[in-house]
Amino acid sequence: MSQNLFDSWRDQPLEEVLYQCRELYENTDFPTVRAWRDRGGKVLGHFQVYFPEEIVHAAGILPVKLRGGNIQPDKADSRFGSYLCSIIKTSLELALSDKIELDAFVTHPICDAARNLGAIWGRNYDYPCEILYLPQNPNSAASAEYLRGEYDRLQRMVERVAGAEINDEALRHSMAVFNRNRALMRELYEIKRQSPEKIAAEDAYALVALAGILPREEHNELLAYVLPMIRESAAKQEDRIRIVFEGAFCEQPPFDMVRSIGRSAYVVDDDFMIGLRWILSDVPRGRDPLRDLALSYIEDSSYSPVQHDLRKRKEEMLVRRVRAANADAVIVTAAKMCEPGLEEQVAYIHGLEREGIPFFVSEFEENQSSFSDLELQLETFMENLLFA
Amino acid sequence: MSITAGIDVGSTYTKTVLLDADNKIVARHQLNTGFKLAEVAEKCFQACLAEARLTSDDIAYIIATGYGRHQVAFKDLIVTDITASARGCHLLFPETRTVLDVGGQTMKAIRLEPDGKVKSFRQNDKCAAGTGAFLEKTARYMGYETDDIGGLLDTSRDPAEISGVCAVFAESEVINQLSLGTPPADIMQGAIESLTTRAVQLMKRVKAEPGHTLIGGIMRFGTMSRAVDSRIKDDIQLPGGGEDRALPQFVTALGAAWLAHHRLRKLAGEGSTPTPAAA
Repeated sequence: MSQNLFDSWRDQPLEEVLYQCRELYENTDFPTVRAWRDRGGKVLGHFQVYFPEEIVHAAGILPVKLRGGNIQPDKADSRFGSYLCSIIKTSLELALSDKIELDAFVTHPICDAARNLGAIWGRNYDYPCEILYLPQNPNSAASAEYLRGEYDRLQRMVERVAGAEINDEALRHSMAVFNRNRALMRELYEIKRQSPEKIAAEDAYALVALAGILPREEHNELLAYVLPMIRESAAKQEDRIRIVFEGAFCEQPPFDMVRSIGRSAYVVDDDFMIGLRWILSDVPRGRDPLRDLALSYIEDSSYSPVQHDLRKRKEEMLVRRVRAANADAVIVTAAKMCEPGLEEQVAYIHGLEREGIPFFVSEFEENQSSFSDLELQLETFMENLLFA
Repeated sequence: MSITAGIDVGSTYTKTVLLDADNKIVARHQLNTGFKLAEVAEKCFQACLAEARLTSDDIAYIIATGYGRHQVAFKDLIVTDITASARGCHLLFPETRTVLDVGGQTMKAIRLEPDGKVKSFRQNDKCAAGTGAFLEKTARYMGYETDDIGGLLDTSRDPAEISGVCAVFAESEVINQLSLGTPPADIMQGAIESLTTRAVQLMKRVKAEPGHTLIGGIMRFGTMSRAVDSRIKDDIQLPGGGEDRALPQFVTALGAAWLAHHRLRKLAGEGSTPTPAAA
């Protein structure tokens, strides 16, 4: 019997592989996580955005990226105010409704709601519920040492859950697995930038997102299998506007929204599940793995509205992303009730206006189900560019 | 000479127009849309090519529009039917400032800029009220086919009062009228009048300006354009002038084909908006 959690894609043609990936992504029963636990494995759930999954992986625990889901937060609604974003509620709902069972939970103080999530979560479960404090000021000379300390604290908590110590060799091995994973995801994004007609926006999105619910070795196998097929696929290149999608760093846009956008534009770059792609190149594997991880977070990472690094002004990073992808325009969006996202929209808009890059502003909610108005508005925006 | 194609996959009919660089229609074709949108778009395109004795290699650029536009696999670009209709009307009648488009499942009022760009628009809600489906259902309740509607309308003398515009509740109204001995032609004309009322309301919502052009499948029934003409204080423009009765139905596909020439010019670096000329 196979030890893999997700096998239905193996030896299948591209279309079937992508179908299987979409199905798994949209399955709110998280069968791979369930199967892992059924086999006696432990699971650590971590909330958006970035989390050093290597530390958990090195302990033999499955790190699961909690990204909410298209479910009704019936139980979680009683724990939160109505003025909060949806992902906070649906992430907790996944646990309260037993769709995902965890052995530990970690959140981050990326906003007030996310910071409070740890305490609220912890009132419901006996397992460790922690906050990982990533450095608020990565520009400080002490931030790398500070973060190394945080990672060390995290490692000790993970070791308690695993019931075993994590040695440096295991950590370095996990870092190699994750380096490979990020390299494969970079390849996927290179295809999106170079030949966006070869992979639909929602398919690329699902392929990346599955990293959050699969053992990373399996995800590596999946990407290594599918990427050459995507490269070889013969799709007609249409005369579409090339867009960058910005605003999905935490709550994820509904899958059908991504599909709707991808039907009329080429999404050549985006921040979908950016936490999984946060580190931009290979993490060095030196003598002190935790320090290497910490340095990569500080010196070699992407950007989002919840990291405040003066070297990476978000609007400048967005413009850089647009230029690198040779994009024509940007969809600047944010989840409803998302304070960091909505605040950053202002800076993004000013930056894009300054550079003369057309943009389209919208909001979304993960449980949204109708996109016909959005589609019509977006197509009208693009027609204005095409037939100016 | 480059030829472009506009394919309008509408809810009831799929239309294809081939247009040359002088804005002359090379060929046009129409099929029932049915439920296999990708297939019917391909068939309609191929039939149009056959009519013009061309192959797909002769077509420089293809724009798909209409509600099934995303299903056209061989397109170069999609545009909304709002934009395509506006540009089609601008091509035929450059003085157009307001477009009324009554199709099988939708009714739209579009206000145009002088250069043919869309200024604002409104369309009916998801229900079939105020659309061709309403007329078709009314005809069917009385035992007539869609093709019989035109002939039936020509014999109407005293339009019946059809108060409701809901395609579902139309049945009870029709039965009621029939029980009163109202001739089917007058019931049908009553349905047209009811549709016209809704159309005029929709045009008011976009603050319609003089320079009305009427398009869509329903306009093949001359009585509909006459009814609209009598309600608005403006001379209306009807593509085909009542002689080519099918042309109003092809205007959206025509607009798409015209935009395809625009796009070709832009890609070639000329970047100019094509000037309207007689299609």
